[in-house]
Amino acid sequence: MTELVYIGEEVLPALLRGLWISLILILPSSVLGFAAGVLVGALRVYGAAGFRWLANAYVLIFRGFPLIIQLYIWYFGLPRIGIYMSPYGASVMGFVLCSAAYHSEYIRGALLSIRHGQMLAAQSIGLNRLQTVLYVIMPQAFRRALPGCGNEIIYLIKYSSLAYMVTCIELTGEGKILASASFKYIEVFMIIGAIYLGMVSIATWLLSMLENHLTIPGFERYRT
Amino acid sequence: MPSPTPVLAVENITKTYGIRTILDGVSLSINRGEIKVLIGPSGAGKSTLLQSINFLIQPDSGTVALEGQTINPHDKKALCAYRQQVGMIFQDFNLFDHLTALGNVEIGLIRVKHMIKNEARDRAVTELERVGLKQHTAHYPAQLSGGQKQRVSIARALAMEPKVMLLDEPTSALDPELIGEVHSVISKLGEAGMTMMLATHQIGFARHLAHEMIFMENGRIVEQGPPDVILDGAARQRTREFCSRISGAGEKR
Repeated sequence: MTELVYIGEEVLPALLRGLWISLILILPSSVLGFAAGVLVGALRVYGAAGFRWLANAYVLIFRGFPLIIQLYIWYFGLPRIGIYMSPYGASVMGFVLCSAAYHSEYIRGALLSIRHGQMLAAQSIGLNRLQTVLYVIMPQAFRRALPGCGNEIIYLIKYSSLAYMVTCIELTGEGKILASASFKYIEVFMIIGAIYLGMVSIATWLLSMLENHLTIPGFERYRT
Repeated sequence: MPSPTPVLAVENITKTYGIRTILDGVSLSINRGEIKVLIGPSGAGKSTLLQSINFLIQPDSGTVALEGQTINPHDKKALCAYRQQVGMIFQDFNLFDHLTALGNVEIGLIRVKHMIKNEARDRAVTELERVGLKQHTAHYPAQLSGGQKQRVSIARALAMEPKVMLLDEPTSALDPELIGEVHSVISKLGEAGMTMMLATHQIGFARHLAHEMIFMENGRIVEQGPPDVILDGAARQRTREFCSRISGAGEKR
Protein backbone atom coordinates (compact mmCIF):
# COMPACT_ATOMS: atom_id res chain seq x y z
CA MET A 1 0.00 0.00 0.00
CA THR A 2 2.76 2.41 0.93
CA GLU A 3 4.28 1.54 -2.44
CA LEU A 4 1.20 2.83 -4.22
CA VAL A 5 1.09 6.00 -2.17
CA TYR A 6 4.77 6.57 -2.87
CA ILE A 7 4.22 6.04 -6.58
CA GLY A 8 1.06 8.16 -6.70
CA GLU A 9 2.30 11.07 -4.64
CA GLU A 10 5.96 11.29 -5.45
CA VAL A 11 6.90 9.25 -8.51
CA LEU A 12 4.11 10.16 -10.91
CA PRO A 13 4.16 13.95 -10.46
CA ALA A 14 7.95 14.00 -10.80
CA LEU A 15 7.93 11.74 -13.84
CA LEU A 16 5.18 13.73 -15.52
CA ARG A 17 7.22 16.86 -15.01
CA GLY A 18 10.24 15.04 -16.45
CA LEU A 19 8.25 13.63 -19.34
CA TRP A 20 7.09 17.11 -20.28
CA ILE A 21 10.69 18.38 -20.33
CA SER A 22 11.73 15.33 -22.37
CA LEU A 23 9.01 16.04 -24.90
CA ILE A 24 9.93 19.68 -25.30
CA LEU A 25 13.53 18.57 -25.77
CA ILE A 26 12.72 15.87 -28.31
CA LEU A 27 10.12 17.57 -30.51
CA PRO A 28 12.07 20.68 -31.58
CA SER A 29 15.35 18.75 -31.67
CA SER A 30 13.98 16.14 -34.04
CA VAL A 31 12.34 18.67 -36.36
CA LEU A 32 15.28 21.09 -36.44
CA GLY A 33 17.80 18.25 -36.57
CA PHE A 34 16.06 16.73 -39.55
CA ALA A 35 15.76 20.08 -41.34
CA ALA A 36 19.44 20.85 -40.76
CA GLY A 37 20.31 17.30 -41.83
CA VAL A 38 18.50 17.77 -45.14
CA LEU A 39 20.42 20.98 -45.74
CA VAL A 40 23.78 19.46 -44.82
CA GLY A 41 23.08 16.30 -46.82
CA ALA A 42 22.12 18.35 -49.88
CA LEU A 43 25.25 20.48 -49.53
CA ARG A 44 27.40 17.38 -49.30
CA VAL A 45 26.01 16.09 -52.59
CA TYR A 46 25.19 19.20 -54.62
CA GLY A 47 27.08 21.99 -52.88
CA ALA A 48 29.98 23.91 -54.37
CA ALA A 49 33.37 22.48 -53.41
CA GLY A 50 33.85 24.84 -50.45
CA PHE A 51 30.43 24.12 -48.96
CA ARG A 52 30.88 20.41 -49.51
CA TRP A 53 34.17 20.49 -47.65
CA LEU A 54 32.65 22.45 -44.77
CA ALA A 55 29.67 20.12 -44.52
CA ASN A 56 31.91 17.06 -44.53
CA ALA A 57 34.09 18.55 -41.81
CA TYR A 58 30.99 19.33 -39.77
CA VAL A 59 29.76 15.75 -40.03
CA LEU A 60 33.16 14.35 -39.17
CA ILE A 61 33.38 16.42 -35.99
CA PHE A 62 29.80 16.02 -34.81
CA ARG A 63 29.73 12.31 -35.42
CA GLY A 64 33.20 11.95 -34.02
CA PHE A 65 32.83 13.71 -30.67
CA PRO A 66 30.75 11.77 -28.14
CA LEU A 67 27.45 13.56 -27.64
CA ILE A 68 28.01 13.94 -23.92
CA ILE A 69 31.29 15.74 -24.63
CA GLN A 70 29.47 18.06 -27.04
CA LEU A 71 26.90 18.86 -24.37
CA TYR A 72 29.64 19.53 -21.81
CA ILE A 73 31.34 21.87 -24.24
CA TRP A 74 28.14 23.81 -24.96
CA TYR A 75 27.12 24.09 -21.36
CA PHE A 76 30.31 24.10 -19.31
CA GLY A 77 32.82 25.14 -21.95
CA LEU A 78 31.23 28.08 -23.74
CA PRO A 79 30.96 30.25 -20.59
CA ARG A 80 34.79 30.38 -20.74
CA ILE A 81 34.45 32.50 -23.87
CA GLY A 82 31.55 34.46 -22.44
CA ILE A 83 28.65 32.54 -23.99
CA TYR A 84 26.15 31.38 -21.43
CA MET A 85 23.42 28.95 -22.40
CA SER A 86 20.53 27.61 -20.37
CA PRO A 87 20.63 23.86 -19.67
CA TYR A 88 17.65 23.50 -21.98
CA GLY A 89 19.20 25.63 -24.75
CA ALA A 90 22.52 23.82 -24.59
CA SER A 91 20.75 20.45 -24.74
CA VAL A 92 18.58 21.32 -27.74
CA MET A 93 21.54 22.79 -29.58
CA GLY A 94 23.64 19.70 -28.85
CA PHE A 95 20.87 17.35 -30.02
CA VAL A 96 20.12 19.33 -33.18
CA LEU A 97 23.76 19.55 -34.24
CA CYS A 98 24.46 15.91 -33.51
CA SER A 99 21.34 14.44 -35.10
CA ALA A 100 21.71 16.69 -38.16
CA ALA A 101 25.10 15.09 -38.81
CA TYR A 102 23.53 11.62 -38.77
CA HIS A 103 20.46 12.68 -40.77
CA SER A 104 22.72 14.18 -43.42
CA GLU A 105 24.24 10.78 -44.03
CA TYR A 106 20.83 9.16 -44.65
CA ILE A 107 19.85 12.04 -46.89
CA ARG A 108 23.14 11.87 -48.78
CA GLY A 109 22.67 8.16 -49.42
CA ALA A 110 19.13 8.73 -50.63
CA LEU A 111 20.12 11.62 -52.90
CA LEU A 112 22.84 9.50 -54.48
CA SER A 113 20.37 6.70 -55.12
CA ILE A 114 18.15 8.82 -57.37
CA ARG A 115 18.85 7.95 -61.00
CA HIS A 116 20.80 10.55 -62.92
CA GLY A 117 18.09 10.53 -65.58
CA GLN A 118 15.72 12.34 -63.20
CA MET A 119 18.17 15.22 -63.07
CA LEU A 120 18.62 15.22 -66.85
CA ALA A 121 14.87 15.22 -67.45
CA ALA A 122 14.33 18.07 -65.01
CA GLN A 123 17.04 20.16 -66.62
CA SER A 124 15.74 19.36 -70.08
CA ILE A 125 12.44 21.11 -69.35
CA GLY A 126 14.26 24.18 -68.06
CA LEU A 127 14.30 23.69 -64.30
CA ASN A 128 17.42 25.18 -62.76
CA ARG A 129 19.64 23.25 -60.39
CA LEU A 130 17.97 24.43 -57.20
CA GLN A 131 14.47 23.73 -58.56
CA THR A 132 15.61 20.31 -59.74
CA VAL A 133 16.86 19.40 -56.29
CA LEU A 134 13.83 20.91 -54.52
CA TYR A 135 11.02 19.64 -56.69
CA VAL A 136 12.36 16.49 -58.33
CA ILE A 137 15.25 14.94 -56.44
CA MET A 138 14.49 15.79 -52.82
CA PRO A 139 10.86 14.59 -52.77
CA GLN A 140 12.03 11.19 -53.98
CA ALA A 141 15.13 11.10 -51.80
CA PHE A 142 13.08 12.10 -48.76
CA ARG A 143 10.97 8.98 -49.13
CA ARG A 144 14.02 6.77 -49.40
CA ALA A 145 15.71 8.42 -46.43
CA LEU A 146 12.65 8.15 -44.20
CA PRO A 147 13.36 4.75 -42.62
CA GLY A 148 16.89 5.81 -41.75
CA CYS A 149 15.88 9.25 -40.53
CA GLY A 150 13.13 7.67 -38.45
CA ASN A 151 15.76 5.49 -36.86
CA GLU A 152 17.75 8.58 -35.93
CA ILE A 153 14.67 10.22 -34.41
CA ILE A 154 14.01 7.14 -32.32
CA TYR A 155 17.59 7.17 -31.21
CA LEU A 156 17.22 10.86 -30.31
CA ILE A 157 14.29 10.05 -28.04
CA LYS A 158 16.66 7.98 -25.96
CA TYR A 159 19.77 10.11 -26.09
CA SER A 160 17.66 13.07 -24.94
CA SER A 161 18.24 11.47 -21.53
CA LEU A 162 21.77 12.90 -21.65
CA ALA A 163 20.31 16.37 -21.04
CA TYR A 164 20.26 15.75 -17.32
CA MET A 165 24.07 15.59 -17.39
CA VAL A 166 24.00 19.33 -18.14
CA THR A 167 21.36 19.88 -15.45
CA CYS A 168 18.36 19.95 -17.73
CA ILE A 169 16.26 17.73 -15.52
CA GLU A 170 14.10 15.68 -17.85
CA LEU A 171 12.59 12.24 -17.41
CA THR A 172 15.80 10.38 -16.61
CA GLY A 173 17.02 13.20 -14.37
CA GLU A 174 13.82 13.20 -12.33
CA GLY A 175 14.11 9.43 -12.06
CA LYS A 176 17.67 9.64 -10.85
CA ILE A 177 16.68 12.11 -8.13
CA LEU A 178 13.72 9.96 -7.05
CA ALA A 179 15.73 6.79 -7.01
CA SER A 180 18.63 8.29 -5.06
CA ALA A 181 16.23 9.52 -2.41
CA SER A 182 14.24 6.32 -2.02
CA PHE A 183 16.71 3.68 -3.20
CA LYS A 184 13.87 2.18 -5.23
CA TYR A 185 16.03 1.97 -8.34
CA ILE A 186 14.29 -1.01 -9.90
CA GLU A 187 10.80 0.41 -9.60
CA VAL A 188 11.67 3.89 -10.76
CA PHE A 189 13.87 2.90 -13.68
CA MET A 190 11.47 0.19 -14.85
CA ILE A 191 8.74 2.81 -15.04
CA ILE A 192 11.04 5.22 -16.86
CA GLY A 193 12.13 2.52 -19.27
CA ALA A 194 8.48 1.78 -19.99
CA ILE A 195 7.80 5.45 -20.66
CA TYR A 196 10.65 5.62 -23.20
CA LEU A 197 9.34 2.42 -24.75
CA GLY A 198 5.94 4.11 -25.02
CA MET A 199 7.41 7.19 -26.70
CA VAL A 200 9.41 5.06 -29.10
CA SER A 201 6.32 2.98 -29.92
CA ILE A 202 4.31 6.10 -30.70
CA ALA A 203 7.14 7.51 -32.83
CA THR A 204 7.45 4.21 -34.69
CA TRP A 205 3.73 4.22 -35.37
CA LEU A 206 3.72 7.84 -36.54
CA LEU A 207 6.70 7.20 -38.80
CA SER A 208 5.12 4.18 -40.40
CA MET A 209 1.92 6.18 -40.97
CA LEU A 210 4.01 8.84 -42.67
CA GLU A 211 5.82 6.24 -44.75
CA ASN A 212 2.54 4.71 -45.87
CA HIS A 213 1.11 8.11 -46.60
CA LEU A 214 4.07 8.99 -48.80
CA THR A 215 4.22 5.70 -50.67
CA ILE A 216 4.09 6.31 -54.40
CA PRO A 217 1.28 4.31 -56.02
CA GLY A 218 2.66 1.50 -58.12
CA PHE A 219 5.58 0.98 -55.77
CA GLU A 220 3.59 -0.53 -52.92
CA ARG A 221 3.92 -4.00 -54.37
CA TYR A 222 7.50 -3.98 -53.14
CA ARG A 223 6.21 -3.63 -49.60
CA THR A 224 4.80 -6.39 -47.48
CA MET B 1 14.78 27.50 -102.24
CA PRO B 2 16.09 30.37 -100.11
CA SER B 3 17.99 29.21 -97.06
CA PRO B 4 16.32 30.57 -93.93
CA THR B 5 18.08 30.71 -90.57
CA PRO B 6 18.08 27.15 -89.30
CA VAL B 7 16.09 26.52 -86.10
CA LEU B 8 19.10 24.79 -84.67
CA ALA B 9 22.69 24.92 -85.84
CA VAL B 10 25.40 22.80 -84.29
CA GLU B 11 28.95 23.74 -85.16
CA ASN B 12 31.98 21.53 -84.72
CA ILE B 13 31.05 19.86 -81.44
CA THR B 14 33.69 17.69 -79.79
CA LYS B 15 33.58 15.63 -76.64
CA THR B 16 36.21 13.35 -75.18
CA TYR B 17 36.17 11.21 -72.07
CA GLY B 18 39.77 10.55 -71.08
CA ILE B 19 41.42 9.24 -74.23
CA ARG B 20 38.15 8.23 -75.88
CA THR B 21 36.81 10.68 -78.41
CA ILE B 22 33.02 10.42 -78.43
CA LEU B 23 32.26 13.35 -80.71
CA ASP B 24 34.86 14.42 -83.20
CA GLY B 25 33.82 17.73 -84.71
CA VAL B 26 30.15 17.23 -85.53
CA SER B 27 28.30 19.97 -87.38
CA LEU B 28 24.72 19.94 -88.55
CA SER B 29 21.74 22.19 -88.82
CA ILE B 30 18.02 21.71 -89.04
CA ASN B 31 15.40 23.97 -90.55
CA ARG B 32 11.87 24.57 -89.37
CA GLY B 33 9.66 21.56 -89.93
CA GLU B 34 12.53 19.32 -90.89
CA ILE B 35 12.97 15.84 -89.47
CA LYS B 36 16.47 14.42 -89.33
CA VAL B 37 17.21 10.89 -88.21
CA LEU B 38 20.53 9.84 -86.75
CA ILE B 39 21.52 6.25 -87.42
CA GLY B 40 24.68 4.37 -86.71
CA PRO B 41 26.11 1.61 -84.54
CA SER B 42 26.00 1.77 -80.74
CA GLY B 43 28.78 3.98 -79.46
CA ALA B 44 28.72 6.13 -82.58
CA GLY B 45 27.97 9.19 -80.44
CA LYS B 46 24.29 9.69 -81.32
CA SER B 47 23.13 10.00 -77.70
CA THR B 48 26.08 12.14 -76.73
CA LEU B 49 25.40 14.43 -79.65
CA LEU B 50 21.73 14.87 -78.72
CA GLN B 51 22.57 15.48 -75.07
CA SER B 52 25.32 17.91 -76.02
CA ILE B 53 22.85 19.93 -78.06
CA ASN B 54 21.00 21.00 -74.92
CA PHE B 55 24.10 20.85 -72.76
CA LEU B 56 22.99 17.95 -70.59
CA ILE B 57 26.48 16.87 -71.54
CA GLN B 58 28.90 19.74 -71.65
CA PRO B 59 30.76 19.56 -74.98
CA ASP B 60 34.50 20.29 -74.92
CA SER B 61 34.22 22.68 -77.81
CA GLY B 62 31.84 23.80 -80.49
CA THR B 63 28.79 25.99 -80.54
CA VAL B 64 25.04 25.55 -80.65
CA ALA B 65 22.75 28.25 -81.96
CA LEU B 66 18.97 28.42 -81.69
CA GLU B 67 17.43 30.57 -84.43
CA GLY B 68 20.77 32.24 -85.00
CA GLN B 69 21.42 32.97 -81.32
CA THR B 70 24.53 31.23 -80.03
CA ILE B 71 23.94 29.70 -76.63
CA ASN B 72 26.33 30.47 -73.80
CA PRO B 73 26.09 27.37 -71.58
CA HIS B 74 27.71 29.21 -68.67
CA ASP B 75 24.88 31.74 -68.49
CA LYS B 76 22.56 29.64 -66.35
CA LYS B 77 19.45 31.73 -66.92
CA ALA B 78 19.93 31.74 -70.67
CA LEU B 79 20.61 28.00 -70.59
CA CYS B 80 17.34 27.26 -68.76
CA ALA B 81 15.46 29.50 -71.17
CA TYR B 82 17.08 27.69 -74.09
CA ARG B 83 16.35 24.22 -72.75
CA GLN B 84 12.64 25.02 -72.53
CA GLN B 85 12.68 25.53 -76.27
CA VAL B 86 14.41 22.26 -77.00
CA GLY B 87 12.28 19.27 -76.04
CA MET B 88 14.20 16.17 -75.06
CA ILE B 89 12.91 12.61 -75.10
CA PHE B 90 15.00 9.95 -73.41
CA GLN B 91 15.45 6.29 -74.13
CA ASP B 92 14.35 5.33 -70.62
CA PHE B 93 11.61 7.99 -70.31
CA ASN B 94 12.91 9.58 -67.10
CA LEU B 95 9.47 10.45 -65.83
CA PHE B 96 9.47 11.91 -62.33
CA ASP B 97 8.51 8.84 -60.32
CA HIS B 98 6.86 10.74 -57.46
CA LEU B 99 4.44 12.65 -59.68
CA THR B 100 1.34 11.54 -61.58
CA ALA B 101 1.22 11.76 -65.36
CA LEU B 102 -0.49 15.11 -64.88
CA GLY B 103 2.10 16.23 -62.34
CA ASN B 104 4.91 15.32 -64.72
CA VAL B 105 3.46 17.57 -67.39
CA GLU B 106 2.44 20.34 -65.00
CA ILE B 107 5.73 20.78 -63.18
CA GLY B 108 7.47 22.62 -65.99
CA LEU B 109 4.43 24.82 -66.59
CA ILE B 110 4.23 25.79 -62.93
CA ARG B 111 7.90 26.04 -61.99
CA VAL B 112 9.43 27.19 -65.25
CA LYS B 113 6.64 28.99 -67.06
CA HIS B 114 5.12 30.21 -63.78
CA MET B 115 1.58 29.44 -64.91
CA ILE B 116 -1.11 29.49 -62.25
CA LYS B 117 -2.25 26.09 -61.06
CA ASN B 118 -5.58 25.89 -62.92
CA GLU B 119 -4.14 27.09 -66.17
CA ALA B 120 -1.27 24.63 -65.90
CA ARG B 121 -3.68 21.81 -65.19
CA ASP B 122 -5.84 22.56 -68.22
CA ARG B 123 -2.80 22.82 -70.42
CA ALA B 124 -1.34 19.58 -69.07
CA VAL B 125 -4.61 17.72 -69.63
CA THR B 126 -4.72 18.99 -73.19
CA GLU B 127 -1.19 17.75 -73.82
CA LEU B 128 -1.98 14.34 -72.34
CA GLU B 129 -5.10 14.12 -74.51
CA ARG B 130 -2.95 14.86 -77.52
CA VAL B 131 -0.88 11.75 -76.85
CA GLY B 132 -3.98 9.67 -76.09
CA LEU B 133 -3.62 9.45 -72.32
CA LYS B 134 -6.71 11.28 -71.12
CA GLN B 135 -7.69 8.30 -68.96
CA HIS B 136 -4.30 8.12 -67.29
CA THR B 137 -3.76 11.64 -65.97
CA ALA B 138 -3.98 10.49 -62.34
CA HIS B 139 -1.69 7.49 -62.75
CA TYR B 140 1.86 7.38 -61.49
CA PRO B 141 4.72 6.26 -63.74
CA ALA B 142 4.94 2.89 -61.98
CA GLN B 143 1.31 2.26 -62.98
CA LEU B 144 1.87 2.94 -66.67
CA SER B 145 3.21 0.74 -69.46
CA GLY B 146 6.45 1.66 -71.19
CA GLY B 147 4.63 3.06 -74.20
CA GLN B 148 2.38 5.16 -71.98
CA LYS B 149 5.38 6.45 -70.04
CA GLN B 150 7.10 7.54 -73.20
CA ARG B 151 3.94 9.28 -74.37
CA VAL B 152 3.74 11.13 -71.03
CA SER B 153 7.32 12.22 -71.50
CA ILE B 154 6.45 13.50 -74.97
CA ALA B 155 3.52 15.42 -73.49
CA ARG B 156 5.82 16.83 -70.82
CA ALA B 157 8.21 18.11 -73.47
CA LEU B 158 5.43 19.45 -75.72
CA ALA B 159 3.87 21.40 -72.87
CA MET B 160 6.93 23.64 -72.88
CA GLU B 161 6.17 24.55 -76.51
CA PRO B 162 9.57 23.58 -77.85
CA LYS B 163 10.84 24.85 -81.19
CA VAL B 164 12.67 21.61 -81.81
CA MET B 165 12.49 18.15 -80.31
CA LEU B 166 15.43 15.83 -79.73
CA LEU B 167 14.46 12.20 -79.41
CA ASP B 168 17.10 9.79 -78.17
CA GLU B 169 16.06 6.27 -79.21
CA PRO B 170 12.54 6.83 -77.91
CA THR B 171 11.38 3.27 -78.52
CA SER B 172 14.46 1.16 -77.87
CA ALA B 173 13.43 0.34 -74.30
CA LEU B 174 9.94 -0.75 -75.36
CA ASP B 175 8.32 -4.10 -76.06
CA PRO B 176 7.77 -4.54 -79.79
CA GLU B 177 4.01 -4.31 -79.38
CA LEU B 178 4.24 -0.96 -77.59
CA ILE B 179 6.51 0.67 -80.14
CA GLY B 180 3.65 1.42 -82.51
CA GLU B 181 1.77 3.74 -80.17
CA VAL B 182 4.87 5.86 -79.62
CA HIS B 183 5.74 5.88 -83.31
CA SER B 184 2.26 7.06 -84.19
CA VAL B 185 2.54 9.96 -81.73
CA ILE B 186 5.89 10.93 -83.23
CA SER B 187 4.54 10.65 -86.77
CA LYS B 188 1.62 12.90 -85.88
CA LEU B 189 4.02 15.43 -84.45
CA GLY B 190 5.96 15.36 -87.68
CA GLU B 191 2.78 15.86 -89.71
CA ALA B 192 1.93 18.82 -87.52
CA GLY B 193 5.22 20.39 -88.55
CA MET B 194 7.38 19.80 -85.49
CA THR B 195 11.09 20.11 -86.11
CA MET B 196 12.72 16.93 -84.86
CA MET B 197 16.05 15.24 -84.55
CA LEU B 198 15.71 11.56 -83.77
CA ALA B 199 18.21 8.83 -83.03
CA THR B 200 16.78 5.39 -83.68
CA HIS B 201 17.50 1.84 -84.72
CA GLN B 202 13.96 1.49 -86.13
CA ILE B 203 15.05 1.94 -89.69
CA GLY B 204 11.67 1.19 -91.27
CA PHE B 205 10.01 3.87 -89.21
CA ALA B 206 12.88 6.27 -89.83
CA ARG B 207 12.66 5.83 -93.59
CA HIS B 208 9.06 6.99 -93.64
CA LEU B 209 9.57 9.80 -91.17
CA ALA B 210 12.89 11.34 -92.10
CA HIS B 211 13.56 14.13 -94.52
CA GLU B 212 17.21 13.42 -94.09
CA MET B 213 19.21 10.60 -92.62
CA ILE B 214 22.55 11.06 -90.96
CA PHE B 215 24.85 8.09 -90.60
CA MET B 216 27.27 8.48 -87.70
CA GLU B 217 30.21 6.39 -86.65
CA ASN B 218 33.11 6.95 -84.25
CA GLY B 219 31.88 10.39 -83.33
CA ARG B 220 31.69 11.69 -86.88
CA ILE B 221 29.03 12.15 -89.48
CA VAL B 222 29.99 9.71 -92.19
CA GLU B 223 27.27 10.52 -94.64
CA GLN B 224 23.94 12.29 -94.86
CA GLY B 225 21.18 12.47 -97.40
CA PRO B 226 17.59 11.50 -98.21
CA PRO B 227 16.59 8.20 -96.57
CA ASP B 228 16.22 6.29 -99.83
CA VAL B 229 19.70 7.27 -100.88
CA ILE B 230 21.33 6.46 -97.56
CA LEU B 231 19.50 3.18 -97.11
CA ASP B 232 19.58 1.87 -100.66
CA GLY B 233 22.43 3.56 -102.44
CA ALA B 234 24.83 5.11 -100.00
CA ALA B 235 27.99 6.53 -101.50
CA ARG B 236 30.24 5.19 -98.78
CA GLN B 237 31.11 1.58 -98.26
CA ARG B 238 30.71 1.78 -94.48
CA THR B 239 27.20 3.20 -94.69
CA ARG B 240 26.17 0.46 -97.12
CA GLU B 241 27.58 -2.20 -94.79
CA PHE B 242 25.68 -0.83 -91.83
CA CYS B 243 22.43 -0.49 -93.73
CA SER B 244 22.63 -3.96 -95.21
CA ARG B 245 23.23 -5.48 -91.82
CA ILE B 246 20.23 -3.99 -90.06
CA SER B 247 17.18 -6.08 -90.75
CA GLY B 248 13.88 -4.74 -92.00
CA ALA B 249 15.17 -1.59 -93.62
CA GLY B 250 11.63 -0.97 -94.81
CA GLU B 251 10.35 -0.75 -98.36
CA LYS B 252 11.30 1.98 -100.67
CA ARG B 253 8.70 4.71 -100.78
